[in-house]
Amino acid sequence: MTETVLEEKKIDEKWEPKIIAFLCNWCSYAGADLAGVSRIQYPPNIRIVRVPCSGRVNPYFIIKSLVDGWDGVVVSGCHPGDCHYISGNLVARRRFAILKELLEFFGIEPGRVNFMWASAAEGERFAVLIRKVTKIVKELGPNTKFQKEWC
Amino acid sequence: MGIETDNKEIISSIRENAKLLLSENQVDVIIGYSEGTVPLSSTPIIIRKEEDVDKLIWNNLCYINLARYLAPLMPQLCDSEGNSLKIGIVAKGCVGRAVNLLAVEKQIDLDNIKMIGFNCNGIVNRSKIDLEIGEKEILDVSISGDDIIVKGHNWEKKFPYDQYINELCKVCQIKSPSATDANCIGECQELESIHDEFSDIAEFESKSADEKWAYIKDALQVCTLCYSCRQACPMCYCNLCFVDQNMPTWFGKTTQFTDIFTFHLIRAQHLAGRCVACGACSSVCPVGIDLNIITRKLEKIAKERFDYTSGLNAETIPPMMDFKMEDEEEFMLEED
Amino acid sequence: MDQKRLKKDQIGKLYNELVGEYDFYAPINKKGNIAFEKIENPEDIVLDYLNSKIPPKSVLFPQNEVLFEYTLDEKDVEITDRQDLEQKILIFGIRPCDAYSFELFANFFSFHGDWKDDIYLKKKENTTLIGIGCNTPKTTCFCTSVNGNPFKKDNMDVFLTDLGDTYLVEGISDKGKGMVQKLSWLSDASKDDLKKAEELAKIAEESITTKIDVDTVVKNLETCFEHPVWDEISESCIGCGSCAYLCPTCTCFDVIDETDHYNNRGRRIRIWDTCQSCLYTLETSGHNPRDTKIQRCRNRIMHKFSYYPTNYDLLGCVGCGRCVYVCPANNDLRVILDKINKIEEKEDEKVVA
Repeated sequence: MTETVLEEKKIDEKWEPKIIAFLCNWCSYAGADLAGVSRIQYPPNIRIVRVPCSGRVNPYFIIKSLVDGWDGVVVSGCHPGDCHYISGNLVARRRFAILKELLEFFGIEPGRVNFMWASAAEGERFAVLIRKVTKIVKELGPNTKFQKEWC
Repeated sequence: MGIETDNKEIISSIRENAKLLLSENQVDVIIGYSEGTVPLSSTPIIIRKEEDVDKLIWNNLCYINLARYLAPLMPQLCDSEGNSLKIGIVAKGCVGRAVNLLAVEKQIDLDNIKMIGFNCNGIVNRSKIDLEIGEKEILDVSISGDDIIVKGHNWEKKFPYDQYINELCKVCQIKSPSATDANCIGECQELESIHDEFSDIAEFESKSADEKWAYIKDALQVCTLCYSCRQACPMCYCNLCFVDQNMPTWFGKTTQFTDIFTFHLIRAQHLAGRCVACGACSSVCPVGIDLNIITRKLEKIAKERFDYTSGLNAETIPPMMDFKMEDEEEFMLEED
Repeated sequence: MDQKRLKKDQIGKLYNELVGEYDFYAPINKKGNIAFEKIENPEDIVLDYLNSKIPPKSVLFPQNEVLFEYTLDEKDVEITDRQDLEQKILIFGIRPCDAYSFELFANFFSFHGDWKDDIYLKKKENTTLIGIGCNTPKTTCFCTSVNGNPFKKDNMDVFLTDLGDTYLVEGISDKGKGMVQKLSWLSDASKDDLKKAEELAKIAEESITTKIDVDTVVKNLETCFEHPVWDEISESCIGCGSCAYLCPTCTCFDVIDETDHYNNRGRRIRIWDTCQSCLYTLETSGHNPRDTKIQRCRNRIMHKFSYYPTNYDLLGCVGCGRCVYVCPANNDLRVILDKINKIEEKEDEKVVA
């Protein structure tokens, strides 16, 4: 895909971002499920990967997703204090803080990588935040900084 | 005074202490620096006998962080059963930091380590000098007074010492190991915390995203992914580095910019709050990439976010091994 | 007459004449490092360099080389082979030691003619080397000890000698002679020029003072596989791969696949590998026969000074000295070889580990 095609894509109204979501099994995945069964609408741009805990998310998962062509990443876990594994999300939070700072330091758009908390009871919140993420990534346009060159 | 006399004093104190340790059988081996065979270099050396201590030197080109040889412990430092020998290690401030941090991370047993501390007076920035000399062969580098004298065929050039040391050394505040007399002989200090401004990094951070990206792209594009920076890093001791994990292979190993950038980004992530700011990664780079900006940023994150400076003692747990309920989470998404 | 003169300001003219026919590679200064790159502006060419940081093997054996690409549709896979192998390549301003390294490459990539690497061999066949003698070899150079010479012309097609304000141009191979003849605007060289070139060659050869008794090294290596000297040699090594990556004779490579899932395509890439990496010999079972840096260091020396002579009757080192000045721990190859040379004396007591 050439630069010009991507440029066109950027101005294309119909372009939809592809966003990968790492959701923890115990809260956010159930939250997404609740949003579904409660028929709360949220954009279909996200593809969900279920992980045991937000602490399982290696920062390289996030970067690898961007390298592999996703336009945005969102990681969601249980609220602090509610982690099924007691402190997995607290460990993850420090990691995310650093990743976020480093990405910004290197000049990557901060909105590419997003973190949120959503419990199993918060279907509405989940949908609202996913709408927000989709809006942020859509405004950023396609992810080109991580793309490899193909001829 | 002057750097030249400083160095002489440092050398004699190192040799004296090394001799003492060996003669009293406090240590079996001593890791230190010896004279290099080419200009702008030095060779790490293992001393086993008292009469060899005169091979130990200090000359502002000793950029390798000797703690590198402790974790994983190389076979030359083990006895026939694979247990660690008693090791003496010539320690500038950042070697001391690395030793402390390795002890916190349970990679070494401090009982086996005896540091030979001294007040480091900085490391010469090799690539900066190389770059300025250009395509002329350097035959000799020496320090006279406060100048670095570089000589070649029929030419000689002077570099003021304070301008041609590593950026990290210019702002360094931990010049001798932060340790107690129990595991350090010679110069040492017990530091509680240090005060650092990070004005250099703040300046970079104030640039626009595009400017930052352009700078990083330009700086890293010559990288050959030889992993010298990883190998020279005292804190990069993983049995299997993420780039080497191959079941399945998930790290791209080509020298396309994406792969280079990913490597440096994730390596930075792994070193956050653990980097000891020795600058070895930049000094050993065969193509002269300056990674100091990343090093400084990591120190800034640790200091400002977690009020932590790595390697000040062998007890405080580094931020990435720890967590607090009330950690800041201003970056988390919230409903509007 | 095969000897001509090229004025230094005529490099641009030479470039313009040849660039249509050839991909023109020459040394340029890339952020302080000399490397061979495809030239777009002849003014970028640096010929008064000591030696390139990145060896010219990168032209014919690049660090990443796409072997083929493929695209997928619902039923079929379509493979696109390399199309550019017929393109003529010109490497301008290569040093004799680096040109000699291609002789070793020819052996490696065709292993006595039994297995042939078409991609490399075809590219090499279409390559013309215009070399330049080293008037001032570095103190780390030791090519004279390993069958080389700062003015060795054997592997070149055309050879240049820097005479101050002009270059002496000599056609060496038939290909090179033809090329020199085609460049009809070159003026003939005078007898003085030839004499001067000879003198320069003599001075250069004499200025290489490092002498290594390589025959003894090769002989000693046959018996010292388990010798404790390797403990000592690998002591300061930090296990990076700079020596191998910047070595003009290191040929080891790894092959990786890259897929672009979302666009249904992929490619197979050959990348440089190094025996200093822990992954190099790792087996699928998890066993690693070369697990410590002692063994890896040994392999590097053994490969160049023992396996190469055994397999190809050639030394695997051209004496360029790159590994000597690039080693971050200053684990000097000359010192290593010296240590191996000295084994002999102790050998009477026969050390068996």
